[in-house]
Amino acid sequence: MPLRTSPWALTLWLLAALLVLFVAGPLLRLLFQASPASLGTALSDPELVASIWLTILTATAATLLSVLLGVPLAYLLARVPFPGRRIVAGIVELPVVVPHPVAGIALLLFLGRQSPIGQGLATLGLEVVNRIPGIVAGMLFVSAPIVVSAAREAFRGVDPKLERVARTLGDTGSQAFRHVTLPLAGRGVVAGAVLAWARSVSEFGSIVILTYNPKVASILIYDRFTLFGLPAAVPAAVVLLLIALAVFALVQVLAPDRAEHR
Amino acid sequence: MIRLEGVTVQVGNFSLEEVSLVVPAGGYGLIIGPTGSGKTTLLEAIAGHEPLRRGRIALRDEDVTTAAPETRRVGFVYQHYHLFPHLTVGENIGYGLRREAPDARAGRIRDLSETLGLVPLLSRSVRGLSGGEQQRIALARALAPRPNILLLDEPFAAVDPATRRVLRRELRALHEREGITTLQVTHDFEDAMRLGDVVAVLAEGRIAQSGTPDAVFRYPNSAFVAEFIGTGTVLRGTVERMQDREDPAARFAARFRSGSLSLEVVAEREGEAYAVIRPADLLLSRTEGHEPAPRNRFPAVIVRVERGSAVAQVHLDAGGTALVAAVMSSTAEELGLAPGVSVAVAIKATAIHLI
Repeated sequence: MPLRTSPWALTLWLLAALLVLFVAGPLLRLLFQASPASLGTALSDPELVASIWLTILTATAATLLSVLLGVPLAYLLARVPFPGRRIVAGIVELPVVVPHPVAGIALLLFLGRQSPIGQGLATLGLEVVNRIPGIVAGMLFVSAPIVVSAAREAFRGVDPKLERVARTLGDTGSQAFRHVTLPLAGRGVVAGAVLAWARSVSEFGSIVILTYNPKVASILIYDRFTLFGLPAAVPAAVVLLLIALAVFALVQVLAPDRAEHR
Repeated sequence: MIRLEGVTVQVGNFSLEEVSLVVPAGGYGLIIGPTGSGKTTLLEAIAGHEPLRRGRIALRDEDVTTAAPETRRVGFVYQHYHLFPHLTVGENIGYGLRREAPDARAGRIRDLSETLGLVPLLSRSVRGLSGGEQQRIALARALAPRPNILLLDEPFAAVDPATRRVLRRELRALHEREGITTLQVTHDFEDAMRLGDVVAVLAEGRIAQSGTPDAVFRYPNSAFVAEFIGTGTVLRGTVERMQDREDPAARFAARFRSGSLSLEVVAEREGEAYAVIRPADLLLSRTEGHEPAPRNRFPAVIVRVERGSAVAQVHLDAGGTALVAAVMSSTAEELGLAPGVSVAVAIKATAIHLI
């Protein structure tokens, strides 16, 4: 739309600018709050460094699980018209509308010691509540839908006839998937995985209920804010923000360019 | 050889019903039919992509009804080529040769790309190539693993007429050289006439008629086939016997009346019928004299002339009845055929096919 100075156009631009300012303002304010010196201090704080490593490792584990379990589901949802497909697709999207503390409570009931599944996992040495698997469970619950929907869209963008051509050229179903569909959908799947990783890193609501200790970065920030006040929370918050920005940049690079696909 | 026996396939709301067809070894079969008649589904069923509800498919005398696509040794070329966009031209052609030794693979890619004029493109991306180039690549890719059967889905639909003529010639030559049993889907009867040994007309999931192209072309067994294959004029009318005969099964001389037209025909039965007249069987002349008239000679006025490179289609109005004639473009020029011009039309009784 060409820029014109009608009252209508001015209103549009003004409202749009307000929102951009509202999002960018606080983030910029936080970035400028932290001096390089305070960042250095933050990175020499063993508790913060350990917490960031824990966050990175658990988020990576949750993302790998999301991909391992989510990509097959996404492929089935995109390609196979099985009965109840819409219901399954809806179930997987549900975590998006469930408030995260509610998800934490639900996971606690489902995976806690009192439940048969929790008891079964505990006998396998995989105790969830107040342990690292609890962090991964919370992250997986909120990030898996991101992987499934990104991968499903990526698979939908690949013409099934390409796989059929590969089959007539001697590929089995799994070979055609690996040599044709996955390379073509790969960017979309990876972009979804990166977003899921970022979502995992930022998760707080369900983890605070499942596993307060050991503390992931988001919980550590909350912990420091409630115990020691704002100045204590800022360096950790900045570090987490920088990680998020790096991931965001990565997604921009990986995001599939729709115009390129037919 | 491709042998289909009562092939029945259900895809969504659409079904192919009881399709039976044989393309002999080394033969060239054509399936023609309008959009939505199930042509592509039939090819996909033969390739093993769609399961059969009933019926059998044999390729090279081997029953493959339940075999996986990768075991059928079928080459498939889709209408929109479906080249692998993440691979180069050479990698596309060599896709089905990955299990072969590198030398054999490179040799086969080189041979095919030389035959099809693709050598300069081998290391290029497949994006941004012309329709004709993509078509040749898709053909080379399908032929590379030396399939027993080649299935072509509207291979010429998306290229311009000049490229189509060249591709058609190349395809016929390749077919003769490789001796590969081929089944092609088309909606273009010219493909069928120029390429096919066997033609099947598909209508709403059923084979309406099959046989040699000439037989289907000259003797369509239904108005659908006649109108679809575009034989020119299809008239609805009634047949009246002109002479009595003892043998009721024999063909007899008769009169076919449709609107103001009354034509001498050779008929097998009386009553309501369709008359099919090929455009080339309508003879046009400008003579206004009163020389001895042959049978079935009547006046008409030219409505429209569609001039092709070699043949012109002349649309005529004969006392309210629409007719289509085909004449050589040069003849149309010589006779001065143009809209509004009156001509004399002559049709031999034996050229009028009644169905």
